[in-house]
Amino acid sequence: MIWVIHTLNGISFGMLLFLLAAGLSLIYGLMKILNLTHGSYYLIGAYVGSTIIAKTGSFALALIVAPLVVALLGAVMERYFLRRFHLQELPQTLLTFGFLFIFADLMLWIWGGDPIVLPKPAAFSGSISIGDARYPTYRLALIAVGLIVALILWWFQERTRLGAMLRAGVDDAEIAGALGIDVSLLFTLVFAVGALLAALGGVLGGPIIGAQPGADFEVMLLAFVVVIVGGLGSLRGALIGGLLVGLLDNFGKIFFPELALFTIFVPMAIILSFRPTGLFGRL
Amino acid sequence: MARIPLFIALAAVVFVALPFVVPSYYVGLTTKILIFALFAMSLDLLIGYTGLASLGHAAFFGISAYTIAVLSVKLRMSEWIAFPAGLTMAIALGAVFALLALRARGSYLLMITLALAQVVWGIAFGWRTMTGGDDGLPGLRRPAFVSDETSFYFLVLGLVAASTVVLVALIRSPFGLALQGIRESESRMQALGFNVWRHQFVAFVIAAAFAGLAGALYVYYNRFVSPDFLHVVRSAEVLIMVIIGGVGTLLGPAIGAAAIILFEDIISSQTQHWLLALGIIYVATTLFAPRGLIGLYRERFMARRKP
Amino acid sequence: MRASWIAAGVLPLMLPITSSFAQQGPIKIGLILPLSGTFAPNGEDTLTGTRIYFDSIGNQVGGRKIELIIEDEQGRPDVGLTKARKLVENDKVQILAGFVSTAVALAVNDYAREKKIPMVLSGDAGANELTMPGPLYNPYIVRTSQNGRTPAAAAAAFAYKNGWRKVATMTSDYAGGFDTIGGFAQAFCKLGGTIVQEQYPPINTNDYGPYVTNVQSGVDGVVTFLPGSAGLKFVKQFDELGMKAKYPLMDIFGQIVYEPFLPQLGDAALGIYSTLHYAPTIKTPENEAFVAEYMKRAKRIPSDNGADGWAGAHAIADAAKAVDGKVEDTEKFLAAFRPDKFASPKGNISFDKYGQLIQSMYVRKVEKTADGYANVVVEKFDNVDQFWPMTEAELESYKYRYSELKGSMTNCAKVLEKK
Repeated sequence: MIWVIHTLNGISFGMLLFLLAAGLSLIYGLMKILNLTHGSYYLIGAYVGSTIIAKTGSFALALIVAPLVVALLGAVMERYFLRRFHLQELPQTLLTFGFLFIFADLMLWIWGGDPIVLPKPAAFSGSISIGDARYPTYRLALIAVGLIVALILWWFQERTRLGAMLRAGVDDAEIAGALGIDVSLLFTLVFAVGALLAALGGVLGGPIIGAQPGADFEVMLLAFVVVIVGGLGSLRGALIGGLLVGLLDNFGKIFFPELALFTIFVPMAIILSFRPTGLFGRL
Repeated sequence: MARIPLFIALAAVVFVALPFVVPSYYVGLTTKILIFALFAMSLDLLIGYTGLASLGHAAFFGISAYTIAVLSVKLRMSEWIAFPAGLTMAIALGAVFALLALRARGSYLLMITLALAQVVWGIAFGWRTMTGGDDGLPGLRRPAFVSDETSFYFLVLGLVAASTVVLVALIRSPFGLALQGIRESESRMQALGFNVWRHQFVAFVIAAAFAGLAGALYVYYNRFVSPDFLHVVRSAEVLIMVIIGGVGTLLGPAIGAAAIILFEDIISSQTQHWLLALGIIYVATTLFAPRGLIGLYRERFMARRKP
Repeated sequence: MRASWIAAGVLPLMLPITSSFAQQGPIKIGLILPLSGTFAPNGEDTLTGTRIYFDSIGNQVGGRKIELIIEDEQGRPDVGLTKARKLVENDKVQILAGFVSTAVALAVNDYAREKKIPMVLSGDAGANELTMPGPLYNPYIVRTSQNGRTPAAAAAAFAYKNGWRKVATMTSDYAGGFDTIGGFAQAFCKLGGTIVQEQYPPINTNDYGPYVTNVQSGVDGVVTFLPGSAGLKFVKQFDELGMKAKYPLMDIFGQIVYEPFLPQLGDAALGIYSTLHYAPTIKTPENEAFVAEYMKRAKRIPSDNGADGWAGAHAIADAAKAVDGKVEDTEKFLAAFRPDKFASPKGNISFDKYGQLIQSMYVRKVEKTADGYANVVVEKFDNVDQFWPMTEAELESYKYRYSELKGSMTNCAKVLEKK
């Protein structure tokens, strides 16, 4: 029965990772941008969410407002800053690193350095019995939310016009532009959605991972690991990669506690040695 | 072009005279700048000249430092054994990374080098009995002949200058030109009959060697080692130094190293919001000097020369 | 002939004038603290406590002004060393103080020892070896904060006294964790208790569920050392999974019940015991004044870091006064720390022969008071030195270092094995 618990833990964590990775994967897939501020979006989402909950007591409100705020931030960053460095990896790295620092300092300034763990919404703060153990309902809700988001994104990508444009843009931005698709608007929109997903991850992950200085960097690394393992630009890769990393991390810590620090990086290094473009990626 | 030897002579005079003219703290700071200049130049060989972007360069820097510290402090070996051992470990690790990473390109290469470096970091952090864990290993003694600041400074100056000469010679050599060709187009070089993989492998190992030398100097500079010597933040920092200075210019990264170390030193003493200031500088540099500081200089210098 | 007579007459007259000229300059104290990154709150708290004390004496002692020069070590030992060098060589400070991160303290240790600069550890840096005979021992160090062993020993004493005989431990998997729980194991075993289960969740664990459900049934209590957000997450899950209702918690070092966490935990925090060398609820005039001033400046409840910073400032000022402000006379200045005794927000302070302070250890319990959830003092141990409750000789006689006992803490025979 304990293994069921461990597996559920891995899957719920994996769903959180999927939310973080999906946004990053989309952004990279379309714009080839390695966004180092992705973890910052997560953290801003968590902090803003915590303030909203503190002031209004509503987790639901936080879940709606915080991601929208961050989406706006993302849109501004893309439109006025990142747009200029299309396909230039190294300037993008410097630019997003600069913003990482700026956001980190501002967050420390505004919210202070003490760790915050978001309170769970009342509806999901209990636990249910699984066999002879109890399991928090929140984590089960997290798995459900992750699946719903995955379905929405998949439907969007495969079944809508916007999604078709996205796929076209991923394949070849120039041709897509020639076909009359407003690539520029598409870019901003996608970047904003990516940021929104990260912030959503921040609020949803808040009761589990929490918010503190340094979490932005750690989450960013984690998201990158998932995206790379799953393959850049692939939604399916983000989901499978997320679940894989979530389970590996969980079971890795149980079987090899001494190696807890790199349970994620060893498999990543191994996978990349054999499949340099990740499990589902295309170069 | 004749300005270059003059420039070098001037620089030589400044560096040699420095310890006799400025206070000891600045001699120490210059030593640190020289060490990181070497570190940055070694990464530029990889990024700027071979076209391989790495986010794990601190692994070579750090493993050299740790080897020296562990051999000297824990096993009480002399520096004549420890120092070469450190360099050897850096070279060996470079070979291992190259073997595992060279199948990847672009963002994937960045990530796999990151992952490999994090594994090395994890070992340094976790293997408390050998490496001291997150407390690090203090108590390293400098060799007697460089126990004072000034002689250590001259040792570092000499080694960094010599390394620079070697690196310059390397990039101008046929091997170096081949690397640059590979950076431009691997397929073309392959078609021309070059063993692209072997060239890249050698470049990786040489870059690791010089990074290891920088790490060795840094551990003697600080007289301790700690896990942040090889943390990803360290790798990111040296990458930033290269980008800010100007990728593929060798001198640029050295200047980038000096600029960042000086900025950090000065700004962090003025305000606790030095991270914000540094972030703004990075953003501003990207917006106004996208080719780095060297690029900025060249543009303004070249622009003025136009008739 | 006459010139030299005049010189012989004039020179001795000049000496007091020149030396008092040398004393005109301010006493410069270089504070090395984390002001960014994960430990920023600890650094800020230490700084606030330090400032409160120096402001209360008008920033003056022995006829000289006190000047604080603050540097951010950014959580990195190499930066800490660079800043130490800047403070000593550029700013010409006579004293280095602060130090939250042990790694930074270790990095600066050799340098300070070589330059013969007094180092006052008024921040958290609690590595036992810095004030004990051994290769790391630095005679220029004075510590006014704490060391790793004593809160653990206090926890053992209190637990045993309250009938706990079998406990389960929960410790973050790193050197500081083993040191702390090892100290608890040694003290507890010696009293006659046993640890029946030890668990070590890795530092960045988010899921304490498996560890919580794994706690052995039938224990008298769970003893923890979980710094940072680990404690916060652990307790939430301990409570949610119904375990908190069954087993009392003893939080060594007051990490879980750290004041900013109490509002976040709410009722889940009630009843948690903790041991620490400070509590904001201590009812003495010194502490009540300190807490009031602290709340005014920082708008938050002081932590132990604040009290430690205050004590460090007091010790420096007392020693400076004892040598009439001549802090440049390093040997005399350092010697002046040893006999110092004073009352402080955290209780009465004195020092041992190694420069480590002797203070009180408090056992607290979380209760709901008029001001919200607070750590109320339920027990106090006085005159706790760094070897308490044993003697230095007895401590030296044990065979195993605490970090070597990981995995064997359930075996009291091994824990108490002598050399």
